[in-house]
Amino acid sequence: MNREQNSRTSILNYIIALAVIFALNFILPRMMPGDPLHAIYGDEALVAMTPQMEASLIREFALDRSWTDQLLAYVINLLHCDLGFSYYYRTQVSSVIMGALPWTLLLTGLALIIATALGIILGIESGWQRGATLDRCLVAGLMFLSGFPDFFVGIILLLIFGVSLNMAPLSGAVTPYAGLKGLDYLLDALMHLILPLASLVAVQLGAVYLLTRNTIVTLLGESFILTARAKGCSDLCIKYSHAGRNCLLPVTTATGLRIPHLFTGALFIEIIFSYPGLGSLLNSALDARDYPLIQGILLIVTIAVLTANLLVDLLYKRLDPRVKYAH
Amino acid sequence: MLKIIGLKTSFGETEILRGIDLELDERESIALVGESGAGKTTLGLSIMGLVSGSVSGEILFNGRNLLKISEDDFRNLRGKELAMVFQNTEDALDPVCRIDDQIAEAILVHHGQSRKNIKAAVLKLLMSVGLNENKALAYPHQLSGGERQRVLIAMALANDPDVLILDEPTASLDALTKADILKLFRSVINCRISLVITHDISMARALTQKMAVLYAGRIVEIGRTEEMVTNPRHPYTRGLIRSYPGMTTTRDLQGIPGRMAQGLDGCPFHERCTQAIEICNCLVPQLREIDERLIACHRGGIVPLLEIRNLGMSFDSCSVLRGVSLTLFEGETLALVGESGSGKTTLSKIIMGLFEQDSGEILLEGQNVNKRDASFYRRVQMIFQNPKESVSHRMNVLDTVMEPLNVQKMGSKEERQRAAKEALRHVELSNDSDFLKKYPHQLSGGEVQRVAIARALALSPKLLIADEPTSALDPSVQAKILKLLMNLQEKMGLAILFVTHDIALARKVSDRMAVMLKGQIVETGATNEVLSHPQHPYTRRLVECAAAASLGMETGESQEESMAANNFKIKAEDFIIGKRPILKIEDY
Ligand code: SF4
Repeated sequence: MNREQNSRTSILNYIIALAVIFALNFILPRMMPGDPLHAIYGDEALVAMTPQMEASLIREFALDRSWTDQLLAYVINLLHCDLGFSYYYRTQVSSVIMGALPWTLLLTGLALIIATALGIILGIESGWQRGATLDRCLVAGLMFLSGFPDFFVGIILLLIFGVSLNMAPLSGAVTPYAGLKGLDYLLDALMHLILPLASLVAVQLGAVYLLTRNTIVTLLGESFILTARAKGCSDLCIKYSHAGRNCLLPVTTATGLRIPHLFTGALFIEIIFSYPGLGSLLNSALDARDYPLIQGILLIVTIAVLTANLLVDLLYKRLDPRVKYAH
Repeated sequence: MLKIIGLKTSFGETEILRGIDLELDERESIALVGESGAGKTTLGLSIMGLVSGSVSGEILFNGRNLLKISEDDFRNLRGKELAMVFQNTEDALDPVCRIDDQIAEAILVHHGQSRKNIKAAVLKLLMSVGLNENKALAYPHQLSGGERQRVLIAMALANDPDVLILDEPTASLDALTKADILKLFRSVINCRISLVITHDISMARALTQKMAVLYAGRIVEIGRTEEMVTNPRHPYTRGLIRSYPGMTTTRDLQGIPGRMAQGLDGCPFHERCTQAIEICNCLVPQLREIDERLIACHRGGIVPLLEIRNLGMSFDSCSVLRGVSLTLFEGETLALVGESGSGKTTLSKIIMGLFEQDSGEILLEGQNVNKRDASFYRRVQMIFQNPKESVSHRMNVLDTVMEPLNVQKMGSKEERQRAAKEALRHVELSNDSDFLKKYPHQLSGGEVQRVAIARALALSPKLLIADEPTSALDPSVQAKILKLLMNLQEKMGLAILFVTHDIALARKVSDRMAVMLKGQIVETGATNEVLSHPQHPYTRRLVECAAAASLGMETGESQEESMAANNFKIKAEDFIIGKRPILKIEDY
């Protein structure tokens, strides 16, 4: 199979997965007993709703018409990025989500990059000097750390650095009503980001680190390392450009597999730090039983996870020449 | 110039190299041979400074002791002045890196260069190792084994090193690729010091001037490759060459008894050596020069067991032997070939003391044999063409085999019986009481000959004279008896003087060959040499006749002849691989 075909099939796989999710989103509420509007919005919302609103919603979803018309309306709504109406926030679900999504992406994206990069570097260094003090401390420390659940690390950090030492803000993503601009705004956001980010990284780091370290230990026994040393390559070059490059392959695969875990971790962390991302949003949506919002968030998170996986897949193919040309 | 003095390398407690001394001049190439585990690769890696264990001694390269310089200095030498080509295993090249980048790296770590120059240099290197330039952009998994090997060579040659170490460079290649790669090696090694680590004797022969044989971390013999192969002098070297299946070896493969053991006191080889003496298991023999060869052996290498000097003999003024000189070494088979009446049987009978020579002398283990006493017959035994000559029809099997022990008054009766049964076991005969009580006429011809051999071996002699031992037997029994003799030789280090008129048979069993004509030895030498380049016209004729007999086989001849012919057919295949074995007389 050649390269294009290969990536085409994997993209196709993702499209199918997405289609299944959209289909479920459409079918499930309509299969519930009773009135679909009920199922979509929940009792409380309907109580608060005026009859006009109800009528306009029924029109929008084409609930009074045939099954095919409903599907068509659903697809058209999706194409318009219309995920329904959040009665709790009294605005479109999509715009509520759009307000929270960047914060979550910022948090998870940075956590992913930092945890992976740091894990790889620590893993390489510690695998290189296997058995030395540094190696043993790192193995023990990071194994210990990654044994905790995310929220636990979050709470500990919050208590130590936020409450006791008062070094970082306790909640939120920016200081409200401070009217900060430019660089100050950035710094402020960063200060708010540090603790949640640190907790996410701390929990994610262990897995990357251990995998890298063990891969490096095996790779260092391979003959191409000896070949490189015989060429006169420096330790740095052998560590990073030969062993390091080869260990990216298993690390990338593992990262792809860990992305869902990263997202769920982020949801909890956000709640702890009242970070205004999807996690907190989901929390309040659950409190208010804002069904359309809950559904929208789950849909977005799923899409985000799938997209991230697709990216990892494509990255892997760039990294390993053997996959492209595998027969 | 590369000089290694007292190099020792160990990994933890295990010492892999136990004192290597080696000196190589400019442009000299040396093969390092030995069975796996002997330390060949460790030696190569030690020179490259790539072993993880601890290294002591001296490695002098252009006057600098490599073991004393800093790691940074060493790294500057590596790949630039000292280069190593590794065995082409699947992962000898970085799997995720393009070929051109890997080769470029070899240059870049030592010389800063512009992008364009590098590209040109890489392409030139690829070309010089016989690779097409479109391979430059390939990844290792897209190349064949031979191509990967070429890339490894290109990387090693990238900076035109002074010392090149090749580690089993053709081990995993098929025969045709191997031939191509060998050609390439030949062109790259002659302008630098090269060490070829291999267990492939024919490759050593094709590439190197010198050869060093390693055994359990020590060098046991160094000499010129050609001479080492045709005339190995250390017992281990001989074993190694005997066990190597070459296209020019004619003899059946023979192993070396036992296994290589590490960390023995004394000579590392003494447990497997068939000529070991007392001192061998307590003192390590040092390499010393003996007749232009460096040999580490307390006995100066394989010792001559039997020396015959200038032997003359005549019956009634008709001279049967004239100036016959022969040397038979410990543990080897010397075939004495000649037609009937050439004097070969007379010669063997003189050795046994059945006739008295008129002139000349016979030395056994360096001592002149004047009278043949018990101690002589303990060391020299004979088996005859007709086993009836040595086996009395009035004695049963057990008595026959025990007789020499009785004569020698060895031990108690039980011990003798045990020894006799052991001898019978060696010749693969049963030793249940029924069989032991049988008389020769109750046995088949092959069994009687085995009994005769058992009788000869009961005393564990050093030398066995076998006078046409199988010519009275049918071919399949003959083959079995010969196999048996060879196995016994391998196990006990027996030297055999194999007297025969059948040159085809001699070819399969002997290390060396002496051709006899009218009471004179007209030609001696390594069997394959004698057969492939016969010097004397008489030898040539013998070879031609034997070859003709093999052609006769095609038309269906008697069984015995076809046996001989069969041997030659194999020989023909040796020369013309893959084709129908058409035998050309000129080949010989
Ligand atoms: S004779 Fe002694 S020193 Fe020589 S190889 Fe045999 S055991 Fe070693």
